[in-house]
Amino acid sequence: MKTLFTVLALSLSAIVSANAAVVVIGNTASGDMSASDAKKAFLGKGDSSVVVYELEEGNATRSAFHQAVTGKSDAQLKAFWSKQVFTGKGNPPATVPSAAAMKSAVASNPNAIGYIDEADVDATVKVILKP
Amino acid sequence: MKFNLKALPVAISIAMAPSIALADDAADAKIAKLEQQVQALQSQQNASLKDKVKLNGFISGAYISSDNDAGYNSADTSANFSEDSKVGLQATFDISDRTQAVLQLMMRGEYDWEVEAEWAYLAHRFENGVKLRGGKLRVPLYMYSDYLDVGYAQPFARPPEEVYGAVPFSSYTGAGASYDVDFDDSTLTMQMFGGESKVKSTGTEVSNLIGANVSWTDETWTLRAVYGQAQLDGSVKSEVDVELAPGVITQADYTVLELNDEKGTFTGVGASYDNGEVIAITEWTRIEVDAAYPDSDSGYLTLGYRIKEFTPYVTVAYMKTQDNDERLPISVAAATQMLAFNAERMAYSLGLRWDAIDNVAVKFDVTYADDFGDTSGGFLNNVDSNTGQIIYDDTLIYTVKFDAVF
Repeated sequence: MKTLFTVLALSLSAIVSANAAVVVIGNTASGDMSASDAKKAFLGKGDSSVVVYELEEGNATRSAFHQAVTGKSDAQLKAFWSKQVFTGKGNPPATVPSAAAMKSAVASNPNAIGYIDEADVDATVKVILKP
Repeated sequence: MKFNLKALPVAISIAMAPSIALADDAADAKIAKLEQQVQALQSQQNASLKDKVKLNGFISGAYISSDNDAGYNSADTSANFSEDSKVGLQATFDISDRTQAVLQLMMRGEYDWEVEAEWAYLAHRFENGVKLRGGKLRVPLYMYSDYLDVGYAQPFARPPEEVYGAVPFSSYTGAGASYDVDFDDSTLTMQMFGGESKVKSTGTEVSNLIGANVSWTDETWTLRAVYGQAQLDGSVKSEVDVELAPGVITQADYTVLELNDEKGTFTGVGASYDNGEVIAITEWTRIEVDAAYPDSDSGYLTLGYRIKEFTPYVTVAYMKTQDNDERLPISVAAATQMLAFNAERMAYSLGLRWDAIDNVAVKFDVTYADDFGDTSGGFLNNVDSNTGQIIYDDTLIYTVKFDAVF
């Protein structure tokens, strides 16, 4: 019975981690980030020394990330940035095409942050927030 | 000592093999790291080029028509493709980390596509967080003032005329300062502005314009308050039809009111809510101007609901002049002012925003305006200039519009 529970618990945790999806990553030297700081950073507010990278528009990880962190849908995010751009308040972050490119961009700059699917995390970057 | 020379290379290579393999691994890792660094440097270089100058633009095309010629948003019974059609091009130059120049050129169908700089300013952010801007700027009286023409960033087909039509100028030349206070989960922005402007349609000079606004947002809720004041000088002219002979009509400028550095004040409050599904936006404003120039109150409430790429919305808006007793028809001049300035109306809009494709929204809107009281409803065309009679007591306006950003 006990083994059955263990197996069940393990398989459940496997299902959960398969769904765990997006994590915010930083340089290996960086410390953890709060959810509110991440929200600010990805909306171009707060600490201006943070270099933010986004995945390209239409990427499913990008949509999942924003739903969890900034609370904005793709269309809302676009409307938000067009407002920021045309009022001179800021420009959307630079984009990278893939999780690999995201990791190399974040790994090479101690001030950089980005996000990838948890499954893509490796030793070159550090998970600084699990939203 | 006998040395097996033949065996030596074998022995050496056996001894070296692991280290060669190790060196290969190390070299591979090193190369991979270098490649990564080169890639990163390249992307940084590309980014820095891209960062220095940014070009953006927006474009709107609109079809407007009405069931009559009352003149709501310049609509009449024939199709109008000009009034709300516009193109904006913006260049942002990063002069340094803290200094940038922004130029936004606009062409509006309403003004025969004449090129105008709507924003043209230099901005500098000081170490203490204060952002100073100087040049040509938007007068930040309303919630949508800063991006009045960027339809893509707005839920509705156009900001409600009742409220946004009350101030006849939207930009000024001068300076402004803003400061953001960051809280854990929200931001408070304080802004001050000062300068001068001119009313395009009437030629009225707007001087000593000063004001301040404060807004707070957590990206779901936004609360805002604003105050502004200015001196208005010059003649308020209106175009009227003059019948020279029976059937021969010409248009002439008629001076409705001579303003002599009259003080005008603007007070407004606004709030909005957007949780990703439900949208609610409301603003209320009060304008007070000395002399016979109208004082008016206005307000609106918009409610919307996002269903994937569709956002249906409803808006109820009103405006009413508050000082009609200053324009009693005791003389011809006062009677003309009464006809030109007294205004009240209600407007009800039913609309749909459709995020059709990337960066393009299509909007459909039907607006019905009525309850004009004894007034023209605020439409100069709605007064028969010969008889002084009000022509229509309601109007219906259809709008189909696309808004794109690039």
